[in-house]
Amino acid sequence: MRVNAEQAVFLELPPEAAFLSLAVSAAETAGKAWDLGPGRTPRLALAVEEFFEYLRGNIPPGDTLKLSLRRRGPALRAEFRFRARSLDLRALNFAAGVAPEDGREMGLLLAARFTDRCRLERPGGDSFVLSAEVDRDYPQAEPLTQHPRLQPPYAPLDQPSGDALRHAAMLAAGRYPARLCPHGFFEPGRLLDMVAAGLYEVLVLADKAGRPAGIMLWRSPAGSLSVFFSGPYVLDEARDPAIARALTEGFLARVARTPAICAVSERPTGDLPAEFFEPLGSVGCTQGGERVEQQAFYRSLREDEGASVWAHPDLEPFLRREYERLAFVREILPVEADGGQPHSLLATDLDLRRGMAVLRPLLDGRDLAANLARHVEALGREGAPDIFLHLDLGQAWQAAMSPALLAAGFTPRLLLPHGATSDMVVFEHGDAAH
Amino acid sequence: MATPHTDPATWSTSRLLDRIPAYVRAFECYVPSRPDPVLMRQYGLSHLYRLNNNENALGPPPLAREALAALESGRTAQYPSGDSYNLRQALAARFGKSPEQFLVGNGSTEIIAAVIKSFCGPGDALVTADQTFAVYEWVGRFSGLETRLVPLRNHALDPGALLEAVNERTKIVFLCNPNNPTGSWWNRDTLEAFLESLPADVVVVLDEAYREFTEDSRFPDGMEVMERHPNVLVFRTFSKMYGLAGLRVGYLCGGQELVDVVRRCHIVYSVNVAGQMAAEAALADDAGHIAATRAMVAGARDFLRDAFDSLGLEHVGGIGNFIMVRTAIPDTLLYRQLMRQGVMVRTMTAFRFPNWIRISLAQDEAMEAFVRAFRAVLDQG
Repeated sequence: MRVNAEQAVFLELPPEAAFLSLAVSAAETAGKAWDLGPGRTPRLALAVEEFFEYLRGNIPPGDTLKLSLRRRGPALRAEFRFRARSLDLRALNFAAGVAPEDGREMGLLLAARFTDRCRLERPGGDSFVLSAEVDRDYPQAEPLTQHPRLQPPYAPLDQPSGDALRHAAMLAAGRYPARLCPHGFFEPGRLLDMVAAGLYEVLVLADKAGRPAGIMLWRSPAGSLSVFFSGPYVLDEARDPAIARALTEGFLARVARTPAICAVSERPTGDLPAEFFEPLGSVGCTQGGERVEQQAFYRSLREDEGASVWAHPDLEPFLRREYERLAFVREILPVEADGGQPHSLLATDLDLRRGMAVLRPLLDGRDLAANLARHVEALGREGAPDIFLHLDLGQAWQAAMSPALLAAGFTPRLLLPHGATSDMVVFEHGDAAH
Repeated sequence: MATPHTDPATWSTSRLLDRIPAYVRAFECYVPSRPDPVLMRQYGLSHLYRLNNNENALGPPPLAREALAALESGRTAQYPSGDSYNLRQALAARFGKSPEQFLVGNGSTEIIAAVIKSFCGPGDALVTADQTFAVYEWVGRFSGLETRLVPLRNHALDPGALLEAVNERTKIVFLCNPNNPTGSWWNRDTLEAFLESLPADVVVVLDEAYREFTEDSRFPDGMEVMERHPNVLVFRTFSKMYGLAGLRVGYLCGGQELVDVVRRCHIVYSVNVAGQMAAEAALADDAGHIAATRAMVAGARDFLRDAFDSLGLEHVGGIGNFIMVRTAIPDTLLYRQLMRQGVMVRTMTAFRFPNWIRISLAQDEAMEAFVRAFRAVLDQG
């Protein structure tokens, strides 16, 4: 076992039942040591237990299971790394058909349901990463609906204090619709922890009297070439456009010399200055029972070098139209549907607060059409009317899936340059997608 | 929207990456533009006007051309002079100094790294502007140093704010005069007052990469300034006025004691034979070349200023063979649209000037091609 300064514990475990208790105990200890709380720690321990039990019987002989437990801001993350040459991972599908007699598969589904985020990744070849995150509980804060009239000039706070951040978040939560606010605006303690852990970066502007005038935040997920921003949130009574502009310019200045290639809107407010971004299009989202179109905005942070992408002929007209409109030079390489192995695998990010689910293909399979249908049905049942699928055009096997997606009722809505290993297409499910 | 979360690391690689300094992990690799033939194929172009790197469109002076033409291929089998001996002699003769006061590098970027390595250690800090030549900041950051960035004031280096940013940990202040990309510059009085106010134990790098583009008598001459301020190191280059960007030759000049310190961390043999020969020849024959270049640049600047004024666009330019203009669309989008019409400019987002582009000033044909393409893009809305 190894512990490092970044609050992480690493264990390399033989895949034997006798070591299950060690893995679970490590999760419980981490939960206790890192303040996950008595109500939440068992969820993490359960995930570790179920993952270990499932994986130990399926990894190649002689391999070990590598478990890491990390504190990531408001969450504790348990992560198993393993090889899986012939492992049948279909049970990791959110909507896996569960056979009641198959205890192992049921356990994984339980783990997915009892954690806040559960994800399977495939870094390459036969390597997989199975992870689960459980968040701490935070107290809710009442949004502030009275916005003062502020006094220019507006200046960025070098390192906003916790109080300034909390105040700005509560003011923003009181002005903007919930779908445009990160969860941390309603639970400022969560936001502070995320900022402290580097999961969010934040820019706060203050007015002449030092009162919060605006806030913008962004995140740079590991391995992603994009930075995803929320805002700008303008907090003065008169909604001074100078604040939105200063926030946007400040944000761009801060990300300009980072590894990010592009900035993409995650929660774009109506105050976003249009001249700094390219409209990608829109996707539908459900708000108060009604469907509204949410615009998506994009901006390259560097000069584009051109690239090659894979595409099935079914998707090519959409791609050519979008590349022409956005003025991106791309070589489109043809790919045909294959199907490959029997079972496909889809990763699901489920955000019930926003009623949204995002699917990502991890493995192609001949059951893809049926698997997609199962996911749509199951996610609708779980309360996620807005279902999207992200297709990585840098992966030929993913690009080959587009006929199945179209047949399953998914429609390409957005082309996101550099959104994955190469460009990414966002498919939306449902009749409203057009 | 949500994003795919892909972690490329295997377990062992992950543990290895955990040990890499955070300042290296966080650093962005610079991606240079692709060669012209590749770009032309990608964009389906028959001609490409490259107006992104502030190269001298007139090329090198005549004697430098001749020197390069006369270079025997057999000469390349031998190492170059490890310390650019002849070139330093020529520089010393030109500026009335000792050859030992010069250090020649593979472009000034190499010398920037050598200066930082020479004077800075863990815990030290650099000070420079936030909207200036990026390499000072890059080298500082990937060397693990605190790099304090001072905002410009009215598109110019702000002497008061730069002084305020200096503290007991500051080892070097980088001043780009004239500033790239704004072309703004400090006159003699401003520079002198700044140097008088700065603690004498802080090294000042006075980067004069574009100083040959002006003949304004108010512009300070670093070669003279360094005589009165022993903490000043002057940087100059053969890449801009002298049209030798492809050979990468830059140099610094300073007090011998200071230069000797930098020499310890400077890579010898880094400047190739052709570069040394061409630079030495260029110095011997530059008057006509400099005059012709200045005339070309002045004409191009006037032409573009008029074009931008007629479009009602804000522009900034001063000394140097470049000008910046601000548009109402993202500069990175404008870049792609101009590329489709065979014109390559520099986007300014990475210089922290979002929605600005910088255009190298060149001959009429290139400037006219740029304006045609630029107007066409803006007309598209």
